[in-house]
Amino acid sequence: MTTQTGEQISIRVTVNGRVETAELRADRSLLEWLREDLDLTGAKLGCNEGECGACVVLLDGRPVNSCLVLAAEADGREVLTIEGLGRAGALHPLQQAFVDRAAVQCGFCTPGMILCALGLLGENPDPSPDEIRRALAGNLCRCTGYQQIVEAVLDGAGRMREGART
Amino acid sequence: MIRCEYHCPRALGEALGLKAAVPGARVIAGGTDLMVRLRSRELAPAALISLRRIPELAGVREEQGGARIGAATTFTDLLDDPVVARDYPVLARAAARVGSRQIRNAGTVGGNLANASPCADSALPLLALGARVRLERSGGSRELPLDDFFLGPGATALAEDEILTAVILPPPDIGARALFLKKGRVKMDLAVASVAVLLSMDGPVCRKVRVAAGSVGPVPLRLREVEALLEGAAPTPERTARAAEVAMRCVAPITDVRSTADYRRHIVGVYLRRALESLLGREAA
Repeated sequence: MTTQTGEQISIRVTVNGRVETAELRADRSLLEWLREDLDLTGAKLGCNEGECGACVVLLDGRPVNSCLVLAAEADGREVLTIEGLGRAGALHPLQQAFVDRAAVQCGFCTPGMILCALGLLGENPDPSPDEIRRALAGNLCRCTGYQQIVEAVLDGAGRMREGART
Repeated sequence: MIRCEYHCPRALGEALGLKAAVPGARVIAGGTDLMVRLRSRELAPAALISLRRIPELAGVREEQGGARIGAATTFTDLLDDPVVARDYPVLARAAARVGSRQIRNAGTVGGNLANASPCADSALPLLALGARVRLERSGGSRELPLDDFFLGPGATALAEDEILTAVILPPPDIGARALFLKKGRVKMDLAVASVAVLLSMDGPVCRKVRVAAGSVGPVPLRLREVEALLEGAAPTPERTARAAEVAMRCVAPITDVRSTADYRRHIVGVYLRRALESLLGREAA
């Protein structure tokens, strides 16, 4: 990790547990780098100004809008995208809860919802419905009406606590 | 977005050297405001200087009985800070009302102030608390009352070679209580209007009153006329109603996409009275 200068910069970021290095233009966002260069298209380009939450990833464990973070600013840090959670046939308990509770319709907001919820559960493993609503206030869904999403997070939190015990 | 150089210094001295050496360089901390303005090409800086690797700019520490908040302290860090919770709870309350959780995880106090939006949530409690800002340049630094820092929408007292490095809070005023009230269209939105009030009583009369209002003028406003009306007087319901009228006259809101000037003025009156009555332990009429 050298001090970065100039228009072209080099970064080294741990993405979903794997170290990725890249040379890229200093003005590119973390979201652009993840989607366009790493083919991690789970994080979505929605409003591109931090209102909708579709691009949320965890940066050092905390949810951020990746459209508002320069890729350069992720240098030396850890990024978790939805691709790093689970895969078909082996979903993360929170992902499985979203499926079982029908908290997904078009799916565009889902990666951001799940990562934001995961950020919350990292700090508070047993949140109230109200705490969940507050944590997801920056994530817009145009399909489900949110009720199923709150239920899915409650359910997923229970499954994760159960998993931690066994 | 915009082609520009990017620097990520590890020491404040290096950042200050760059700020002086590269004309048109812009400081980036959380990026939550700046990225939007870069993308729209409203801003086209020659270079970005990131503050994220400079340790002394992050976090809160006690200093001379008060507190020093590093400019790159995020709102989440502010919310988690024990000194803020104990001595300046009104600031935590305002931090909790900034944007969404993911915005609070990135956005910083220094960025909120340097962006100089009239609706900056952190500016209002900081004005009420008597905060000062520390502006540093290579080989020198100065401190200004936060009142004097804001010059207009997006305009501050920062010189070309200066960086806002810290917010300085005076020792907490024993016996004073403060409130921040924000009206947004929805919880996570920018303020339609907001009010911060600090009140300290001396028996039946107000010993000290500080009032700040947001989104109702070109900068976050301190309403000195309202403070003067209340200080040294008994805050009877008649007087708090009068204070609300004066506040509504002192502000200069505009009509825009979020609200109308009339509604903003109305909210300032209602919220000022509500804050005062609540701090006095009374029901607002």
